[in-house]
Amino acid sequence: MRLFKPLTVLFFLTAACLSAQPDFKAMLREIDELGSFGEEDFSCVYTIVADKPGEEQEITQARMFRRDRTDQFLILILKPEVQKGQGYLQVDENVWFYDPESRKFSHSSLKENIQNSDAKNADLDETSLAEDYDVIAWEEGTLGSFNVYILTLKALNDEVTYPKLRLWIRKDQAIVLKTEDYSLSDRLMRTSYYPKYIQVGAKLLPSQMLIVDELREGERTQITMRDATTAVLPDVVFTKAYLERVNN
Amino acid sequence: MNTWRIAIKNLSRQKKRSFLLGSAIAFGVLIITLINGFTGSFVENVGENFAHIFAGHIFIDGVEKTPTGKTLYIVRNDNELIQAIEDLEIEYSFLTRHSEFSGTLIFEGESVRQSIIGIDWEDEQYFTGRLILKDGSFENMQNPRSVILSDKIADKLKLQVGDRMLVQLRTYTGQQNVGEFTLAAIILDPGLVGSISGYANKTYVNELLNLAPDEYMTLGLYLPSMDDIDPTAEALYRRLAEDVDLFAREGEEDEVNPFMAIMQQIEEEEWEGLRYRLYTLNDMLSEVEQIVVVLNTAGLIILLILFIIIMVGITNTFRMVMFERIREIGTMRALGIQKGGIRRLFLTEALWIGLGGALAGLAAAALVMVILSQIFWGLDSPIFILLKNGYMTFRLSFLQTAANLGLVAVLTLLAAFFPADKAAKLQPAVALRTQK
Repeated sequence: MRLFKPLTVLFFLTAACLSAQPDFKAMLREIDELGSFGEEDFSCVYTIVADKPGEEQEITQARMFRRDRTDQFLILILKPEVQKGQGYLQVDENVWFYDPESRKFSHSSLKENIQNSDAKNADLDETSLAEDYDVIAWEEGTLGSFNVYILTLKALNDEVTYPKLRLWIRKDQAIVLKTEDYSLSDRLMRTSYYPKYIQVGAKLLPSQMLIVDELREGERTQITMRDATTAVLPDVVFTKAYLERVNN
Repeated sequence: MNTWRIAIKNLSRQKKRSFLLGSAIAFGVLIITLINGFTGSFVENVGENFAHIFAGHIFIDGVEKTPTGKTLYIVRNDNELIQAIEDLEIEYSFLTRHSEFSGTLIFEGESVRQSIIGIDWEDEQYFTGRLILKDGSFENMQNPRSVILSDKIADKLKLQVGDRMLVQLRTYTGQQNVGEFTLAAIILDPGLVGSISGYANKTYVNELLNLAPDEYMTLGLYLPSMDDIDPTAEALYRRLAEDVDLFAREGEEDEVNPFMAIMQQIEEEEWEGLRYRLYTLNDMLSEVEQIVVVLNTAGLIILLILFIIIMVGITNTFRMVMFERIREIGTMRALGIQKGGIRRLFLTEALWIGLGGALAGLAAAALVMVILSQIFWGLDSPIFILLKNGYMTFRLSFLQTAANLGLVAVLTLLAAFFPADKAAKLQPAVALRTQK
C-alpha cells in the first residue's frame, strides 16, 4: 500500500510525458513538404564556396532547375569557366553527369559530391525524411536563441546516403537548423547548419547552408541561394538534349 | 652456279664496301628483330604479372538490380558457379572470392582515392608471393583492420608502417561508411597501366561494405596456363548459361575496347533480378594487345624508313659498280653472255649482301637478346610489369622473322634492279670503248 502511491504518481508522470511527445513523424512530413514544390517548378542560382586547408578557395556557381512532381532536376554549372556547361540531370531513377569537353554523359548519383565541395546533389534536392527515416530518440535543447527538438533518425532502408541523422528542429516552426550525418559505423561525417531561410511561394528553403566535413579537419562548404523563383519551366529543360544544346 | 660464285668473288673484291652495305642492312634487321622479340613476350609477361596482381585469369561478378532500379555488386550464393566449375572439371591453381571497394583514405589532412581488395589471407597465402614488399611485414595482416598499400599511396599520404588512417567509402548499397585501417606493409607499385589496389582482410572489407561474412563480389579462377583462358572461359560461359542469367561476352561491334563493352552492358541494358558477368584477363589486356600492334607497326615503319635509306645507298653503290666494271661488262657481253646473265649477276650480288646482312642482323639481335635476358633488372624496376620475374624475355615468331627476311630480300633486289638492268642493256662495243 505504501508503494502504491509513488507508483501511481510515476505511472501518471510517464503517461503525461508520453502524451506530451510531439508527433515527430508529422514534423518530418512537414519539413519535407516545406521544401517540396509539388506541382510548381522551381529554379535558383546556388553559389558553392569550398574551403580546404592548404588549397585555394573554390567557388562554383550553378543554376538549379527542379520539378518535384516528376522527380526531375537539372544542375547546370555556370562557374568556374573550366567547368562551365557541366551538368547533373535526374531522369527517372538515374542521375547523369554531362561533360561538355567529351560531350558524353556518365552515370552519377544523388550521393555524388558537387564538383570538389562537400555538398551532395541530394543537398539541393527535396527531402524525404518521413519516408526514409524513423525517429529513434529525441530530446529538447537550445541552439543559439532557439528552443529546439533534437531528433535522432535511423534509416528505414539501406539505400539512403546516411544511415543515421541527428536534426535540430525549431520548436515553434518545423525548420531544420542543424543536421549531423553519421556513417554506418556510427561515425560523425558531416555537420550542416541552416542559419537563413527564405520564402519562395508558399515554401521555405534554406538560403544559406554551411557544411562542415568532420573527417577532414578544416574542410567546409558554404552554399548560398539567390534568384529563387517558381516560374514555369519548359519541359525541354529536363532533357539530355538541353544540356547538350546549352553548350553549343 | 657460276653466277653465285662470280657474285661472291665480285663482292670480295670490294670487301669494305660490301661490309658497310651489309652492316646497314644488318642494323635494320637488328632493330626490327629486337622490337618483334620484345613485343612477342610483352602480352604474356604483362598478362602474367597482372594475373598475379588481380589473382586470377577468369572472373565472375554477381550483379543485382533492386526493385528501385539500383545496381548492386554481390554474390550471395555461389553454389551454381561452383557446380559449373566442378561439372566442367576445370583445373585451376587457385579459386578466390574477393570483395572490393573504391574509397578515400584520409590521414592527417591528406586524402587519396584508392581501391581496396578484401582477401582471405589464411586461404590465399600464395598471394603474398605476388606482392613485392618494400616495408613492413605480411605477418601484420593478422590484425583484422590492417591494410597493405603501394609505395605511391604511402608517399602521397606520408604514411609509415603502423600508422592508422580513416577510410571513407560506400557500402554495397551506396550508404556512407567510415572505417579505420592500420598500415601493415608497403608494396611496390609497378605502375605503367594505372595504380595497383590496396589489400585488406576480407572480413573487415565485408563489414565496411555491409556484406555478410560469406558474401563477396568477384569469384576468380587462377588457371595453370594463360593459354587455357579463352577455351575455359567459353566452356564455363556456356555451362553457366544453362543455370543462371549472364551478360553477353561480346559488346557492340563498333566498340573499340572489348572489356569496356562488357563493363558498360550493366548501364546500357534493361534487365532485372540477378545476373552474372564473366570476363577474363585477356579481355582486360585487350588494350595491352593494342599497344603491341602499335609497337609492331612502329617497328615496321622504322624498318621501312631504314630500308628506303639503305635502298638509296644500294642503288648508288651498284651504279658506281656498274661504271667501275663497264669494260668488264663489255668483255663479258662480247664473250657471249646474254643481257639476262649480266642482270642476274648484279642481282645475285645484291641478294648476297641482303641475305648476309640480314643473317648478321639476326645473329646480332640474338646476341643482344641473350645478353639482355641475363640481366636481372630487379623486382622494383619501373619496367617490372614488362618483365618475367625481373628478367627481360623475348619471343620471336618464325613467320614474322621469315616475313622480315623476305622483305629485306625483295627491297634489296628492288634497289639493285635498276643499275643491274642498265648494266644488262649496255651495248658491248659501247661498253668496251668507254674510258673511265
